Amino acid sequence: MHELLRQAGRAITPGTYFGWGEVTIQSGNLVIIIAMLALFVLALLLPFPGGRSRK
Amino acid sequence: MNKSPSPMSWRKGDNIAGRPWRGRVRDYDLFKELTIGVIVVGLLVVGLSAIFSSPDEPGVTLKSWAAAAPSDFVATAASELGGTSGTAGYGPPYNSTADASQHLGFFNPQELSGVRLPIDTAQDFVINPLKTLPTPPPALATWTAATAAQQAKWTADYSAALAAAPDGDPARVPSGNYGPVPALTGALLGMATAGNLDGALQNSGQPYNLDYTPTILFLGDGNYFPNLAAAAHLTGDKWGVMNETGNTPGQSWLWLFSLLYQVEPYKSSPNADILVVATMLVLSLLLLLLPFIPGLRSLPRKIPVHRVIWKDYYANR
Repeated sequence: MHELLRQAGRAITPGTYFGWGEVTIQSGNLVIIIAMLALFVLALLLPFPGGRSRK
Repeated sequence: MNKSPSPMSWRKGDNIAGRPWRGRVRDYDLFKELTIGVIVVGLLVVGLSAIFSSPDEPGVTLKSWAAAAPSDFVATAASELGGTSGTAGYGPPYNSTADASQHLGFFNPQELSGVRLPIDTAQDFVINPLKTLPTPPPALATWTAATAAQQAKWTADYSAALAAAPDGDPARVPSGNYGPVPALTGALLGMATAGNLDGALQNSGQPYNLDYTPTILFLGDGNYFPNLAAAAHLTGDKWGVMNETGNTPGQSWLWLFSLLYQVEPYKSSPNADILVVATMLVLSLLLLLLPFIPGLRSLPRKIPVHRVIWKDYYANR
């Protein structure tokens, strides 16, 4: 496969992929998904901004 | 009879909108905020896009394909001549191949659209472009004069010989009765290598051409272009819908579309596309009509995640 990429006039960047069996995920997508999950957990743990002053 | 002003009216009244503000006040500089907003946001946009913008990969053209994988190009040209390529058997909107279109029971939108962009692969991808050469190959006359059965036999024999040749190399095909096919595919390869075929296929008769359909169909019929997509993880069976080239994040909001293509019965269905679209339509309708669906609309009450997020508010209620 990488031979094919080299054959292309200027190489297409293949990227870094992580795989578990059938599932593969691109590193950029993995970072986005982890960031979204982290934001969700933070939303659960941290107080809502301005929430304390609103009585 | 006197009508009292509405609660949001500017007219004097004793309602809340008519009373003067008695809370805290502070200075507000609109120009300062505008300047900071434009400069800071501008710098952020330019800086982040320089670092994270999607990669600008070079386009694959018929010229680059012919230079990188000439054997694959010739084999594809032979299949276009013989009418055995993917495009030749695609069905509507390019041709009327029977049972080629995707359907959901009796509902067949591909058939409903009809043959709107008729493509005869032999004529449109090989013969007509070769006719535009300053000196068209003499093999064109032999091809045109032959019967359809003879043309099909020549191309089938040549395609089989190419498949059997080492590396599919046209120069190493054993001699045989292939008629004008090797001359035609060879001439088309020469035309593509010189960069003339891209222009000939995209010649819509308009000053500026924006229609790349013939080129993309021709590219897709070969192995080179689909293999490039597979190597870059861009095909449907590799979650390609949500991938970008390189390490740039792709369209991750399309994960549900992409997921359906990885599981049965969608995965092995010949009607996968229309099944996935239909499923997403049903799910979208469920989301749209959520407030009216008993049980589903009560989920937030039964799983009160929002109470954890706005815990301060709910603690003081």
